[in-house]
Amino acid sequence: MVPMATRILTVEDDERIRTSLRLALEDEGWEVAESSNGEDALSIFRRQPTDVVLIDIMLPGVDGFEVCRSLRRISNVPIVMVTAREDTHDIVAGLEAGADDYLTKPFAPKELSARIRALLRRARTAEGPLTNFIFADLEVFAEEGVVRRGSQEINLTKTELRLLVELASNPGRTLSREVLLERIWGYDYFGDSRLVDVHIRRLRTKIETDPANPRHVVTVRGEGYKLQP
Amino acid sequence: MAARISLRLRVSLVFGLGALVLAAGLSLITYELTRDNLLSRREESSLARVLFNATQVSRLIDAESTEQQLRDLLQNLYTPLGARPVIRFGDLWLSANPVEFSEPQIDPFLKDTVAQGRAAQMRYVVGETPFAVIGIPYFDIDAAYYEAVPLDDIAATLSSLLIALLTGSAITVLAGIGIGIWAAQRAVQPLTDIGEAAEAIAAGDLNTRLEGADPDLERLSRSFNQMASALQDRIERDARFASNVSHELRSPLMTLTASLEVLRKRQSELPARSQTALNLLTADLEHFKQLVADLLEISRYDVGAAALELEEFEIIEFVQQAARAAGQTPGVTRDPDTEGLVVRADRRRLAQVMANLLENAHNHAGGAAAIHVERRDSTVEIAVIDSGPGVAPADRDIIFDRFSRGSRQTSGGRFSGTGLGLALVSEHVRIHGGSIRVTDRPDGLSGACFVVSLPVNEL
Repeated sequence: MVPMATRILTVEDDERIRTSLRLALEDEGWEVAESSNGEDALSIFRRQPTDVVLIDIMLPGVDGFEVCRSLRRISNVPIVMVTAREDTHDIVAGLEAGADDYLTKPFAPKELSARIRALLRRARTAEGPLTNFIFADLEVFAEEGVVRRGSQEINLTKTELRLLVELASNPGRTLSREVLLERIWGYDYFGDSRLVDVHIRRLRTKIETDPANPRHVVTVRGEGYKLQP
Repeated sequence: MAARISLRLRVSLVFGLGALVLAAGLSLITYELTRDNLLSRREESSLARVLFNATQVSRLIDAESTEQQLRDLLQNLYTPLGARPVIRFGDLWLSANPVEFSEPQIDPFLKDTVAQGRAAQMRYVVGETPFAVIGIPYFDIDAAYYEAVPLDDIAATLSSLLIALLTGSAITVLAGIGIGIWAAQRAVQPLTDIGEAAEAIAAGDLNTRLEGADPDLERLSRSFNQMASALQDRIERDARFASNVSHELRSPLMTLTASLEVLRKRQSELPARSQTALNLLTADLEHFKQLVADLLEISRYDVGAAALELEEFEIIEFVQQAARAAGQTPGVTRDPDTEGLVVRADRRRLAQVMANLLENAHNHAGGAAAIHVERRDSTVEIAVIDSGPGVAPADRDIIFDRFSRGSRQTSGGRFSGTGLGLALVSEHVRIHGGSIRVTDRPDGLSGACFVVSLPVNEL
């Protein structure tokens, strides 16, 4: 049986970019579905199984942030944001809207492929050797990507779950942003620490009772993050 | 221009001077009035008694009086408060207290006046005691009566008064200076506020405005606010423009990059001429992408839109990562006190600083020979050392200029780099409050040594 090709949905309004990206991504061995605006993207996403979504921030009509939020409401699919501006607001807003990673135009399609592979790899690892565990008042069901506090179910994206598991498998140890970037996002060096910070923030809003004064996912100043019961 | 005395100091000094004049004037008047008053009252009361004593004496002496009679007379006079009576009888001078006050202590001028038949009074100091000396002549016989009234108790009172007045004056002057400082502070406060606002704007807080300014300074604060708004508008417009340019430039580059990657996948299927053209296209697209990235980066400094994103990290680990990221393997040496040293800096910008310096070393010397990190007072210095031809002293400043020849020309005559790499290094380092310089190698070998100096804030 031939395994089904990984399917990428691109949301990009610039036709030339969209086409050239499709050609390059197909060369990398991905199957590509295209959409030129947010509405189309959502309806395609609902109709067809999609493994990764690539969203341009500047879209006509519904912007990329909104598309990202809409997708997050219905799915934990890995999302890569694409921006043509190295604007820190855009990047942080994109991550806070639920993106797992981001790239700045112009990027090499090879680099995008590497990022996608990292996102998918960890999605699969989460189904692999991970076991369920209990941490403080949280029950973590690693395979389902679900965390429970009592009867309340907390829904984590794959990246958030991976972050929680990475911290939990090093109990009481501080993990630097660089280490987290390497282990979770697959960056060799000089990844963007905002990736880590925003994901930590998202994780806190989901699992901390008071996200402003986190008790479990704590910042170690100048060093990184650690998990404590 | 010569150093000027500050406004506040001047106002304080004027207040102090005013207080000094006021206090000195009041003290002087008080002292003089009190002195005159005390002395004249003492003299008036003494004069009545002296006249009475003089009358007593005149009644009891005549031409035949013996010296012994006169001495007894002197002893019996009423002389309170240590008054010293002296009688002149012909050429004979008799004193009740010859040791303390007798003829030699009587001022010649007073003697003359009395000798001429006029009663007189003089005030002067004998030894250390001030006296009021009164002389009264007799007309029927050749004699005169003198009495010296000591004024030392008054002098003591006056000197106490003087000390009190001087102390009071000193306190007044100090209080004057104090009030001056306070008043000057109050008066200068609006100007201090304006200065602080201007500094805040210069430091990048463009939303700073002056509010509730003093009515006297309303025009100044209004025009200041207008200027700040205009500046803010301009910077925001420029930043928006740069952002739009960024988008407009990056979009076609995206298509070019992706399409070229598709072509390169099929390079072997192309004829030789097309392959050569494709290689040229690829090389210059890379160069062009780097140029656009550098231009956009440096334009953020020009429009004032560059903002530091600070985070804390270990400098040694960072430098080692930077060398690995550049694909270079220079030895990283360091001083022991940089062990675990954490800096608070913009990691992305410093990474670019290191990348550009290492790329520069690569272009001119085939790579960095060594990186040395050391602590120097409140800075940390990162030296990137290569074994190339080095930088001529004349070029050491201009290589940090944009598109300067020094930084672009390599041995083959072909330009490498974008010509903005070192200019960006300089801007990145400067926005951190640091500095960059290029020197000879410290070990005397041929090569360049680029030293980045960054401030360290102890954590």
